[in-house]
Amino acid sequence: MEFHIERAKVLPKANLHSFISGLKKWGKLIAPVRKGEKFVFTHVEKPEEVELNYTRTILPPKKFLVPYRRERFSYSVEDLSFKTNFKAENQVIFGIHSCDLHGISILDSIYLKENPDPRYLEVRKRTVLIGVSCVPDEFCFCLATATAFPEGASWDLFLTDIGADYFVSIGSPKGDEIVYSQRSLFRDIEKEDLNAYKATTLKKKSLFKPEQLPDLERISHVVELEYDSEVWQEEAKRCLGCGTCTNVCPTCFCYTSVDVPNIAGTEVKRIEFTTSCQYPYYSLVAGGHYFKATRADRFKHRYYHKLVGYPYQVEMLGCVGCGRCSAECPASISMVETIKRLRGCNEKELREVTE
Amino acid sequence: MKKSLEKLLNKPLPVDPYLPHKVVITDVEELAPDHKKFSFTFLNEELNAKWHHLPGQFVMLTVPKAGEIPISICSSPTRRGTVELTVRKVGRKTEVLHRMKPGDLAAIRGPYGNGFPVEIMEGHNLLIIAGGLGIAPLRSLIWFALDRRHRFKEIYILYGTRNYQMVLYKEELKRLRERSDVKCLFVLDRCETAEDREWADVEGVLTALIPQVELDPADTYVAVCGPPVAYRFIGKELLKNGYPESQIFVSLERKMECGIGKCGHCQIGYKFACVDGPIFPLWDTKNLPEMI
Repeated sequence: MEFHIERAKVLPKANLHSFISGLKKWGKLIAPVRKGEKFVFTHVEKPEEVELNYTRTILPPKKFLVPYRRERFSYSVEDLSFKTNFKAENQVIFGIHSCDLHGISILDSIYLKENPDPRYLEVRKRTVLIGVSCVPDEFCFCLATATAFPEGASWDLFLTDIGADYFVSIGSPKGDEIVYSQRSLFRDIEKEDLNAYKATTLKKKSLFKPEQLPDLERISHVVELEYDSEVWQEEAKRCLGCGTCTNVCPTCFCYTSVDVPNIAGTEVKRIEFTTSCQYPYYSLVAGGHYFKATRADRFKHRYYHKLVGYPYQVEMLGCVGCGRCSAECPASISMVETIKRLRGCNEKELREVTE
Repeated sequence: MKKSLEKLLNKPLPVDPYLPHKVVITDVEELAPDHKKFSFTFLNEELNAKWHHLPGQFVMLTVPKAGEIPISICSSPTRRGTVELTVRKVGRKTEVLHRMKPGDLAAIRGPYGNGFPVEIMEGHNLLIIAGGLGIAPLRSLIWFALDRRHRFKEIYILYGTRNYQMVLYKEELKRLRERSDVKCLFVLDRCETAEDREWADVEGVLTALIPQVELDPADTYVAVCGPPVAYRFIGKELLKNGYPESQIFVSLERKMECGIGKCGHCQIGYKFACVDGPIFPLWDTKNLPEMI
């Protein structure tokens, strides 16, 4: 096959639907779709269903790489022969925002660096990731986590909205192959496109308000220093322990496994399902000892793992600033606020003191 | 794309680390009420010959129909051919296991964890402190050291339980007590029966034994395993008696679903008990929150 290894192309918006239709050739097409007032990543047939004008989906695209409930294998009780029924299929996830792309890169490191999980690797190898630029809302703080732009993450194509066109960055040989297969839809970049692209980048930065961004400099150290801070207790008082923050997180990976026998008791399936560090039984060991006994312990643990644990394990923060945990929290607990309070600079409180 | 990520994705598919190997139960021994020692042999003879572990490591044991549990290996790597696990009946999965008989099939994957740093322990005194079921992972270290007795200087074993009935490996320990190349000191919470009194050197808690140990702390490595509450007191007592904290190793218990750093349950501070532990130097317990 002949390839055009070039850094970028331009896709006129008028060609977007044709481009999306063409993606189906590369696998099952998954894209953001409107669901009531919110958005979800789901399987789509028609390009018209795709909604690119969205801020965040309820669940991150993680669910197509690591399903929330999955079967590891099954075995017969008679002779304990293990069978893997797992089959991966090709899929194209279209319309992922930069933060979620970084989220996937973090998952890549978790699942593939040490003791690689062959099932994740197979799914990942069969997945095409196509990103799209976005406009932040009041919950987004990806500028602080350095995930506002796709550089540094792993993806195949990234579409940046530059007005009448999309500026298409190519991130992998696969991405190049996809562009080449539909080359009639694209045109080469010109100086104006490049200028428009640079302007968009600048504009995105200016859309963040200073108060919506936490200061993450040396944050691991801050969390360690403030381990005994009262802020944890106070914030945890509002926490319902529902686990929503971890369920919607693009980087949370904790799971629990159970063996489920069939009705005759002859075949057993090992089912894994995502769990949450916010649930009490999370740290329960034999004999009934809870290592994270109180809600405040568990509340603190989430921050500790995101901001200290991930950097130790994969050299990246475990947070990509997508704002889902704050946006979906039924108690309106905000990660940004907690971090600000930890650093001792809660604007509201400071205002009250000075007034 | 980040170069490091590209490398991760271009790897060939690895062997599935989640798939356990079939084992058959060759022996079940009742050690104490609710405590049984199970011996397993791999059905695959090649695997049986090459399977190797370090003292202090653990395996993930599949109990058919019930699920998977992390269990410390209590047999020594110096005695190949069987994997021995001592299990207390505490929940649903261990209850099913306790009903199993020789000849029954199970499955094992592992060994996992770091194990005791035996290479650096060699050439020094060894002080082994066990509380209750904590003797199980330490039995692996005890026999490892005794089977290579010439590589260690003095060896002390301190073991505390509730009463004589709860003492595990009774016969083995009685024989050890008769040996001249290892010193055993046993303690019971309460001495009520004649058997209790015959067994115990001291009545009370493990920490009471530490000052009785006649070793040069600077030349001694200490291995501790017991219930979480014990570590704090034992650690303090050891430090008070001059043992350097970098030479004290504790084995920790945590909930685990995978054993390979993927399920997250065993997190201690920023570390995972399964891949960074379960053996940690006492120094870590001071710096990692919620460790003990």
